[in-house]
Amino acid sequence: MNELLVKNAYVIDPINHIDGEVMDIAVRDGRIVEDVGPQAEVIDAEGCLTLPGGVDSHTHVCGTKVNFGRYMSPEDMRAGREVRRGVKHATSGYSVPTTYANSYRYAIMGYTTLLEGAMAPLEARHTHEEFSATPLQDMMANTLFDGNWGVMKAVSEGDIERVAAIVGWTLSAVKGFGIKLTNPGGTEAWGYGKDLRCIKDEVPHFGVTPAEIIEAMIQACEMLRLPHSVHLHCNNLGTPGNYACTVGTFNLVPDLNKKRQSLYATHVQFHSYGGSDWKTFRSKAEPVAYTVNNRPQIVIDMGQVMFGKTTTMTADGPMEFNLYRLHHNKWSNHDVELETGSGIIPVLYRKKNLVNSIMWAIGLELGLLVKDPWRCLLTTDNPNGAPFVKYPEIIALLMSKKYRDAEFATVHRRTESRVDLPALDREMDWNEIAVMTRAGQAKALGITGIGKGHLGLGAEADIAVYPLKVGEIDPAQEYQKIIDGFARAKWTVKRGRPVARNGEILVHGENTTIWVDPKISPEHDMSRDPKFTEMFNHWYSVRMSNYPVQDEYLKRNLRIETEATI
Amino acid sequence: MRIVLTMKERTNPHIPIEAEKINPAFLMWGTDELTVWEGNKERRLDEVFEIEMEGTATSVNEVEVVLRGDTSRVKRVGEYMDGGRITIEGDIGMHCANFMAAGTIEVMGNAGGWFARELRGGTVICRGDAGHYCAAGYRGEKKGMRGGKVEVFGSAGDFTAEHLFGGEVIVHGNCGDMPGVDMQGGFLTIHGDCSRPCGNMTDGRCMVLGCASEMLPTFKKQDEVNGPDGLSLTHFTGDVANRGKGNLLVRCYQYLE
Repeated sequence: MNELLVKNAYVIDPINHIDGEVMDIAVRDGRIVEDVGPQAEVIDAEGCLTLPGGVDSHTHVCGTKVNFGRYMSPEDMRAGREVRRGVKHATSGYSVPTTYANSYRYAIMGYTTLLEGAMAPLEARHTHEEFSATPLQDMMANTLFDGNWGVMKAVSEGDIERVAAIVGWTLSAVKGFGIKLTNPGGTEAWGYGKDLRCIKDEVPHFGVTPAEIIEAMIQACEMLRLPHSVHLHCNNLGTPGNYACTVGTFNLVPDLNKKRQSLYATHVQFHSYGGSDWKTFRSKAEPVAYTVNNRPQIVIDMGQVMFGKTTTMTADGPMEFNLYRLHHNKWSNHDVELETGSGIIPVLYRKKNLVNSIMWAIGLELGLLVKDPWRCLLTTDNPNGAPFVKYPEIIALLMSKKYRDAEFATVHRRTESRVDLPALDREMDWNEIAVMTRAGQAKALGITGIGKGHLGLGAEADIAVYPLKVGEIDPAQEYQKIIDGFARAKWTVKRGRPVARNGEILVHGENTTIWVDPKISPEHDMSRDPKFTEMFNHWYSVRMSNYPVQDEYLKRNLRIETEATI
Repeated sequence: MRIVLTMKERTNPHIPIEAEKINPAFLMWGTDELTVWEGNKERRLDEVFEIEMEGTATSVNEVEVVLRGDTSRVKRVGEYMDGGRITIEGDIGMHCANFMAAGTIEVMGNAGGWFARELRGGTVICRGDAGHYCAAGYRGEKKGMRGGKVEVFGSAGDFTAEHLFGGEVIVHGNCGDMPGVDMQGGFLTIHGDCSRPCGNMTDGRCMVLGCASEMLPTFKKQDEVNGPDGLSLTHFTGDVANRGKGNLLVRCYQYLE
């Protein structure tokens, strides 16, 4: 029996409506309980801010494209080098660091649960292998369906049940967590040399539009009763004037689920651009945030851009090609047969660059303009907007108008005429930050039921204690303390075990891979469907029997079984 | 101040030594605390070298370091050097004079790979041959050497002055394959022969006073110009494939059949 007591914790736990209460948290065998015996290990929080372990609902830390980012940027490995010490592996890298570096840095910031934003089903094994080398966080993988031939065929036939059946079979085959659509149809169309500008363009050879794919997938997701909603990276990312497409997409979304959103739109900053070209580029965060405010079925994340070097990586191949034409730096593109694609290029976001400065402002505008913090979550789309180690700075920017103004004074001077940021006075409080970095994320991912994102009885004992005394710090003025505090948790507790303390890693750890296995009736079992197996054997370069990820790839794992309605 | 480091007899002379501490900026404060890595073992400097010191120095520029003995496996000598002088009487291992900003390094023998990689300033001379990636950039990094001068009296290996961004590189002998590839500035002079010079060049000037074999077809021929010693050189601009505006001057050239 493993017991732990966190004493004198100043707890903010938005899911259980606890907003600043000094209390003790008792933990037994990895779960939060009423009380523990006198032999329990004691951690004294000394009245410091104590939150549930951080949850990142959209990050790219594991998988083939992250690894290709490492391949193509050997110079990135010159940063962040640390030697092996104690339980710690050697680490290196900044924007695409080694898996251990990712894990340690997240743990030091108090994060305990991560969702890998995009896993190509065919390449799932690689993602799971890297999950097993990310020891201090529980991992989930969103599975890409944006250019899935089987899905697109079923959509064009109008057979939503078949869409759901294919999604369900694939998810359980590759041990995925949720549905990710990255530029739905767009990457596949680009494979034929076509570009989809928005949701009403047709994917060549398949006769479907992105709008049809998105609508069918939202319904299929509910049929499978997945914990998470459809996770959408909208079409037309990163082009001036794309906000109209984003708003159009949001207006498609029906409200189908009482417990959570029906659509999670990721890195919306990259989709809130106005203007007709780069010269007239401006922020359109306001109409996008307005749409989100009026449609409770939508949750977004910021996709904040922070200045500095990073690497962009996405399954959105055509977008990366456009970026390559802009930067003329190294570039990689990749096609995953019958499923999706990807692209990677390194970038440098500069304050001297007007477009980059506007992008930086748009992310913050979204965070401040979406009224409900439960529906605008804090991410950078790591590492696309910035590496996740910038989260503390973003928290400080959201909490302090003074800091925003100080930063704003250093960006490109013409930014002011293109954005609304200086006019926004909102300063977030501790509770809202707790929502945007853990509670809201856990709720959006549908994992509060398995004890994530809160500190109620029975919850998983993932706890982060930050060296911040809430009553004594004025976040609006002392923003540097906020940055330092959130960058280095006093204690990070994972499943009842302290894993990091003041920037030091304490244990090797063992993570859990969370995956979803929808239970589907036998008549919808795709492994026995003659048309599907025929398609599979004809087009794929792997046999259907070799396609599912074997159990050996998952060490410790949590299977969430759902009762599908088909 | 003069410091003479003489290599001691080693049981296995093939094990490389990582010696970034052999740098006037460290040595001028004494050698007691300095260590080097021999393979996976950390050694005090005086376990590996006989150390003789004469005089004192008030600034790094007054320090002269001499390396004697078999130093062909000693790596990273003069890394980040910012003044003073290092003379190597024999051969030197890889990564000598990396990131050096000022001062002088002279190698009497041959130099290993990555000689004067990402040099920022100062003078680096090699009396013998240099290995591959002489005066080059680092893998993946866009800008290579940014300033200073590298002179090799023997021949240099492949990818000499790769990603050259500024400064001057002179090779008196031949170069291997692809010298000046991805050049973005600076001057590269090759007195001997080479193959496939300056692929993907965007700016800067490269002169080949010998013969360039397998000349790249993506360079646009301009005119004949007079080079040093009255040699007639053919002037090319390119690399056209990369919308480059670099200048490549060659005495004779040969396209791949």
